[in-house]
Amino acid sequence: MAFPSKAVSLALTVLLGLALCSSGFAKDDAARLAALKARVKAIAEEISYVESITKVQRLGRAFGYYTDKGFFGEAADLFTDDGTFQWGVDGVYKGKARIRELLTRHGGGSLTDGPGLPFGRLNLRMQLQPMVTVAADGNSAHARWREWGLLGQYKKEALWGDAVIEDDYVKESGVWKIAARRYYQNFEAPYQGGWAALKPVTGNWQTAVAKEFPPDAPAPKQYQPFPTVFVPPYHYGDGTLRAIQSRPPADAPKRADDALGKLEALADAKELQLARTHSVRALENLQAMYGYYIDKGQWKKAAALFSRNGTYEFGQSGVYIGNAHVERALSLMGPPGLVEGQLNNYVMVQPIIHVSADNRTAKARWRSDVQLARDGKGRWGGGVYENEYVNDKGTWKFSKLHYYVTFWGDYEQGWAAKPIAMDPPSTAIPPDQPPTLVYQSFPKLQVVPYHYANPVTNKPNAGE
Amino acid sequence: MFNHAKKHAGSPGRCVCAVVLGLFWAAAAQAHSVADLQAVEKDLGSLGDRIERLQDLTEVEIVQNAYGYYVDKAQWRSLSDLFAEDATLEIGGKGVFLGRQRVFEYMSVGLGPIGPRDGLLIDHQQFQCLPTINEDGVSAEVRCIAFVMSSGGWGHNYYEDRFIKENGVWKFKKLHGPFNMYAGYKVGWLDNTILNTYPEKWPPWPDLPPTIIYLTYPNYYIEPFHYPNPVTGKAMPPPSPRAGGEAFGR
Repeated sequence: MAFPSKAVSLALTVLLGLALCSSGFAKDDAARLAALKARVKAIAEEISYVESITKVQRLGRAFGYYTDKGFFGEAADLFTDDGTFQWGVDGVYKGKARIRELLTRHGGGSLTDGPGLPFGRLNLRMQLQPMVTVAADGNSAHARWREWGLLGQYKKEALWGDAVIEDDYVKESGVWKIAARRYYQNFEAPYQGGWAALKPVTGNWQTAVAKEFPPDAPAPKQYQPFPTVFVPPYHYGDGTLRAIQSRPPADAPKRADDALGKLEALADAKELQLARTHSVRALENLQAMYGYYIDKGQWKKAAALFSRNGTYEFGQSGVYIGNAHVERALSLMGPPGLVEGQLNNYVMVQPIIHVSADNRTAKARWRSDVQLARDGKGRWGGGVYENEYVNDKGTWKFSKLHYYVTFWGDYEQGWAAKPIAMDPPSTAIPPDQPPTLVYQSFPKLQVVPYHYANPVTNKPNAGE
Repeated sequence: MFNHAKKHAGSPGRCVCAVVLGLFWAAAAQAHSVADLQAVEKDLGSLGDRIERLQDLTEVEIVQNAYGYYVDKAQWRSLSDLFAEDATLEIGGKGVFLGRQRVFEYMSVGLGPIGPRDGLLIDHQQFQCLPTINEDGVSAEVRCIAFVMSSGGWGHNYYEDRFIKENGVWKFKKLHGPFNMYAGYKVGWLDNTILNTYPEKWPPWPDLPPTIIYLTYPNYYIEPFHYPNPVTGKAMPPPSPRAGGEAFGR
């Protein structure tokens, strides 16, 4: 056979080369495709994780709106069928029907008719400052909340309520529900005199409701409310927590200019977009954690939430730099763990959070209402934070915390009749730098500079 | 399967076989990839929609919270810029104001000139926002609390607001702020409560009368929830008059 052997050999070589090249390329493609599919799966899981945080937040807020207006059955329906509700030291109530009656009795609703509240009953229970931890498997979660209550009966009593809530949640058939609620009441203080006038509780301080409507099980934990300083157990520990993490900063990888490369780049973009919205929730959690530590004088834990060179500035007290100095600055509020009769509530609310385009840094405006007591004197405060944060290898930390005081006011007379001036820089623990902005608090008013443009027009805030 | 093709690329006799197989596998892999790539692209698209819904929750809440900070300092122009051109506003019992310019007038004529005034505190705090992004992705609702600490004392109101997304930007379409309770500082809500507002209480006058007449604390009124129960999915039951709850929507 007159095969032009050279030609055949060449042709075979070319074909073989093509085949190998082609199969080699396909092999590479297959690995890339598998990697891409794995990333798509991871993105879907991370979305579910962030969605779960928002759903848990929604449950807690919906609960508050129901109890506000005597929709106690609706509130009880947010629990699992065998859900539990521990009310302070009263004990634990089990199941929706018992929880409904518990809430109805505490809220002053009708045991036979509902929903609604009788004339003159006030039961506003604001649900604030969620710190939400979703479990790795995505089927259970925990959250810490603050309840700030405005309670009372017209012409009979007006009360301030203060409590911390620790919840367990489960996802049943795709629906998030409250499985267990531990309601750690701190005080119900008469408006006249306020919390500063409360005397230490001695003996059994179960509520009247518990006596008429005994719980199904005793409370697993006994404690004394304010003016004793009690730290309700945290569902989270110290150190690195998933709740304050999102994707670590990374440079966008270069992707091949082929069909697969375009999809890889698309996945990169989606991951970054998701990381930024995930970071918003992590930052909410971080600010909430900080607030709960400040509440209880846990200065070291609070200072550990700052980056190594993080700065802290409060009112006109100057700037403190680095974790050790931040901790010392915080101790200006009192000894670690506070003293008996000291209230140091810093309510963290009204966030406006912006995460940078590369997910490396963030800025946020927050508001804080402040409820203080020391040596039998009560005080109100209000102010605005303009904070900055840094994504430190996937964990969010404060790089700058700056609280601008709007007002301090004496509890008895109020902020309008008796405003209190800000403290000057401490001489005992002097700051590293003077205040970055010199201003006076109420009755003077200071517009705290906005870190953001108008969210609708995107124009800088001109102050008008 | 690609390892399989490679394994055959040994002896010359099996070479042709390898070439054929290799081409076959490559073609098969190529065909497989196209379908796979389309599936991945589709998945990323729908995941992208869910990511956008998560961002929407934050963005809607930012507009609501920004509103509160603007009220604090009487920045009425910045505040009214948060509203769509044809948005409506109804606060307390003062009736309905139509359009962005009337939102500005409600604030600047009714509440005072632009800018903070020393000695006058009007902190209008936004608490407990519960946003819902609708299926269409371009409309949303928020229930929120406005907790007021002012020179005069306390206020607790709800907002049940509607938002629209125009050219990718969320704005107020309808701001509705029913009052729950206003009280002076000295004894709080013990008995020093303040009546709901009404259209003729102060200028400017509304474009439309109130959509609902109700009384504030110590009376009962419940603004309907825009959302069903998050667990049962059931719509809000009506309050019972026998329990003190007035029927709403009259």
